Amino acid sequence: MTMALEVQGLTKVFRRRGKDPVVAVREIGLQVQPGEVVGLLGPNGAGKTTTIKCILGLMLATGGSVRVFGRDIARHRSDAAREMSAVLEGSRNIYWRMTAAENLGFFTLLHGVPRHEAQPYNHRLLEVFGLADRKDVSVQELSAGMRQKVAVACALATRASLVFLDEPTLGLDLETSHELRRLLRELAASEGRTIVLSSHDMAVVQDVCRRVVIMKEGRVVVDDSVANLLALFRTRAYRFALSDGCPDGLEQRLRERFTGVTMNPGRPFVVEVVLDRAEDLYAIIEVLRAAGVLIDTITQREPDLEEAFLRLMRGEGI
Amino acid sequence: MNVRLLGCVFRAMWMHRLIMARRYAFNTLSSMITIYLVFLLLFLGGRALAGPMLLGDGLEGLVVGYLVWMFALFAYSDLAWELIMQAQIGTLEKLFLSPAGFRWVTIFNELGGLVFNFGLGSLMLLAIMLTTGTFLRIDLVSVIPLLLATIAAAYGFGLMAGGLALVHKRIQAAFQILQFVFVGFIMAPGDWVVSRYLPFNLGTRLLGQVMGDGVRIWQLPASDLLVLVATGAAYLALGMLVFARMERMARNRGLLGHY
Ligand SMILES: Nc1ncnc2c1ncn2[C@@H]1O[C@H](COP(=O)(O)OP(=O)(O)OP(=O)(O)O)[C@@H](O)[C@H]1O
Ligand SMILES: [Mg+2]
Repeated sequence: MTMALEVQGLTKVFRRRGKDPVVAVREIGLQVQPGEVVGLLGPNGAGKTTTIKCILGLMLATGGSVRVFGRDIARHRSDAAREMSAVLEGSRNIYWRMTAAENLGFFTLLHGVPRHEAQPYNHRLLEVFGLADRKDVSVQELSAGMRQKVAVACALATRASLVFLDEPTLGLDLETSHELRRLLRELAASEGRTIVLSSHDMAVVQDVCRRVVIMKEGRVVVDDSVANLLALFRTRAYRFALSDGCPDGLEQRLRERFTGVTMNPGRPFVVEVVLDRAEDLYAIIEVLRAAGVLIDTITQREPDLEEAFLRLMRGEGI
Repeated sequence: MNVRLLGCVFRAMWMHRLIMARRYAFNTLSSMITIYLVFLLLFLGGRALAGPMLLGDGLEGLVVGYLVWMFALFAYSDLAWELIMQAQIGTLEKLFLSPAGFRWVTIFNELGGLVFNFGLGSLMLLAIMLTTGTFLRIDLVSVIPLLLATIAAAYGFGLMAGGLALVHKRIQAAFQILQFVFVGFIMAPGDWVVSRYLPFNLGTRLLGQVMGDGVRIWQLPASDLLVLVATGAAYLALGMLVFARMERMARNRGLLGHY
């Protein structure tokens, strides 16, 4: 089967006079199947935006190749461009002086979709995104959340098969973020589009994406399913409820030997810990016994992607 | 390149222009009033200084020169400012993503702009002619090709300025000055050898003959027409070359959306 996206050895070096060159992306390889929804994670400056822009052709890569549905973007730019659309960083890439409906109309035409073909779907998107009754209001008069939705709708309206969303939920309140996630999930499921979504909000990625690619300093450090990644930590995340509280010095002793220790004072006193190896369970029970505390309950804690991400970034667990 | 795609992109750019013209109707109106007032000042000032000399030939020259300057300014600023503005609001990157490619997006946008500015320019010309009582001969068959060949250079400058602005964000202020340099090009005396090769200069003189003296385009010296078309094409080509280089540089340095 043809891959929706095939990136090989992609490298981007920014050279500026009088400054050291910045290697933003180094030798990245990435394959995305049609219909996959992939989350792109990584700390600030990891190279997510640069990767996306190189794929889109907005930046010229220093090395490597990109194929979109089998077509090399350097050689078949127009064909590749037809398959792709994007929301780039926030709501900056729609026309604020035009209405939501006008923006959708403009960007579909720009993509080569005639008006009569675009209109029914544009209408539906406006409905689905809850913009229908404000579709004739100038975008600048809309709330930030609505603007963001217009930007996402514009990217989807072209019906491109491969959609890039660079931080689509940036600056949205929790409710709007949840709503946008639900919409993306539903659209991905019902239309089978391929989506690459970057975000700093782990909850968004955990919610929307099946697979996650984590970048750090220009490299891909993890490429796995969200489920696998969570499972990796699930088996090792434990929660001990101590019925008699926590004696002095226990916290320090735990921290010396184990990683990911969190203390939650209260009744009962709860100690959370992520064990590096399964055998460490014996060791921690030994430490607790030696400290003379009574263990009320032991439970396996549900880790979330955020914790998995933070630990991976600290170099733990891989 | 597929015709359906190009048709869609043309419609997109035309639609955008019409909507913007409607939203910015006040700005359009006020800039037209400014252009008109500047002309009036020039006219009254010129008459006070030069007295009766400005009647007849001098006045026609002034009107034609001003007309060319206005069209050149329309073309130049439309192209340069559109690029700068769209880079600022972040839509430039989206235009680059069009399957038609940025070149066609720009060509169609400017084609629309040309039609639009031609409408505005005609209104301004009418107002100026009514004010001065100087009625020029508007022989469209002669005027339109000459005007296009003359302002081709303005598109060249617009491309250069827009391209440079993509890479060097801070030189925008310098572009304001260029519009006064245009005045210099237009007014450079005809007896200097280099004048005819300057942008707008020869075109303005030929247009003066056509609009003032009623000469038809085919009655003009072939060598003049040749120089006009060749220099117009050269300035335009230079603009395209500079723009292509700057675009490449901007994509290399990742500057298309950075502001
Ligand atoms: N146009 C540019 N010129 C020079 N360096 C750049 C440019 N764009 C990005 N960089 C550098 O490249 C590296 C990767 O940046 P990039 O924006 O791709 O990271 P990111 O993962 O998207 O980060 P964030 O999460 O902050 O959006 C950074 O060190 C950044 O400073
Ligand atoms: Mg980024």
